Amino acid sequence: MSAPAAPPPSGADRGNLDQAPGYGPDFLTELFRNPLDAGYADVAARRATAGPPRPTARRTGFVLRTLALVGTGLLLSVAYQQVIRSAPEATSVRNGLVSDVQARQAETDAMQRQADQLRAQAARLRDQVVGAGAGSLLDEMEARTGLARVTGDGVTVTMADGPAPTDPVTGKPADKDPGRVVDFDLQAVTNQLWHDGAEAIAINGQRLTNASTIRLAGSAILVDLAPLAQPYVIEAIGPSSMLDALKDSQVGTFYHYLSTTYGMRFNVDAQDGLALPAAADPQLRLARPIPPTPTATTPGSPPSSGGH
Amino acid sequence: MFAVLAMIVGIALGVILEPTVPVALQPYLPIAVVAALDAVFGGIRARLDGIFDDKQFVISFVSNVLVAALIVYLGDQLGVGGQLSTGVVVVLGVRIFGNVAAIRRHLFRA
Repeated sequence: MSAPAAPPPSGADRGNLDQAPGYGPDFLTELFRNPLDAGYADVAARRATAGPPRPTARRTGFVLRTLALVGTGLLLSVAYQQVIRSAPEATSVRNGLVSDVQARQAETDAMQRQADQLRAQAARLRDQVVGAGAGSLLDEMEARTGLARVTGDGVTVTMADGPAPTDPVTGKPADKDPGRVVDFDLQAVTNQLWHDGAEAIAINGQRLTNASTIRLAGSAILVDLAPLAQPYVIEAIGPSSMLDALKDSQVGTFYHYLSTTYGMRFNVDAQDGLALPAAADPQLRLARPIPPTPTATTPGSPPSSGGH
Repeated sequence: MFAVLAMIVGIALGVILEPTVPVALQPYLPIAVVAALDAVFGGIRARLDGIFDDKQFVISFVSNVLVAALIVYLGDQLGVGGQLSTGVVVVLGVRIFGNVAAIRRHLFRA
């Protein structure tokens, strides 16, 4: 593109925007008013005086023009292909990753099921050898430490984040979010439940053992390396007095206050027929061979009416 | 008209050959397309105005594409690639719209 150095040939385009006679319009005015190359007008003026071009010049001109148009078509189609080719790549990569993740998750689930089956098998064989069974000390210990599946009546506590507060002045999310559930909240509620006599607690299906951790990593709460999704459902099997004890405790009244003031969800309900899964096997650190004569110890009756 | 035929041949060549653009030139492809379109629309308007010239058309086509790509390349080296390419696209777009408006006036009035 060639910028004109002189005022436009027609002279009729000069308007009030020209600064002074003799000065041409500025670049932007020229751009908007005369988008056509001034070269065409110059050549037309020259042709008016010199006459039409020679046939050889016309032929070369025709060939060059055709080549330029072929080049334009080529550019258009190549650019179109570039756009079409690159767009699906992003989505296909993402789809590949998604299917990868799903395949790995399916594998993990299958292995988890296999691990559960093998664990149950090993427990059965162990019971045969050791002479333990339902109601034995081993069974009782397993129920209390979270290594055996338990069923019973108890309490369900549901907690979830309240709506994120927005700063009334700016309309953006506020810095503090007191209605958000953090790991401390789950720890406080579970500790209160243990205190009130719970025998087995599970959060979102993750059974808590005496060495379980509830911690916050980024914005997700993890129980024993398993991330939890909201709402957090804490199921506890214990005595019938647990429900009122939790509601009347300091922890219960505090979270009730949070739920009414900041919209945090905190529901405490009695629940019958809870079934809490077993936790994953802990790492075996110490083992002793059993003495040759099996000792049969019958424990006392369970201290509460819930759990077995 | 041979012009339309030539363009169709160019598009067909692109579809048949499916040339792979070298990775270094890929960012300049869109700007080259816009510059080429500017030259083509300028040529169409010149033809309708009766002042078309082959040599002028070819020179404007080649120089448009080269200068636009050069400006964008220079901007990338200097660190203002985004702004310079925006400027080039704006100017070329204004020229395309101006020429298309003149073509429209020719086609629907004369």
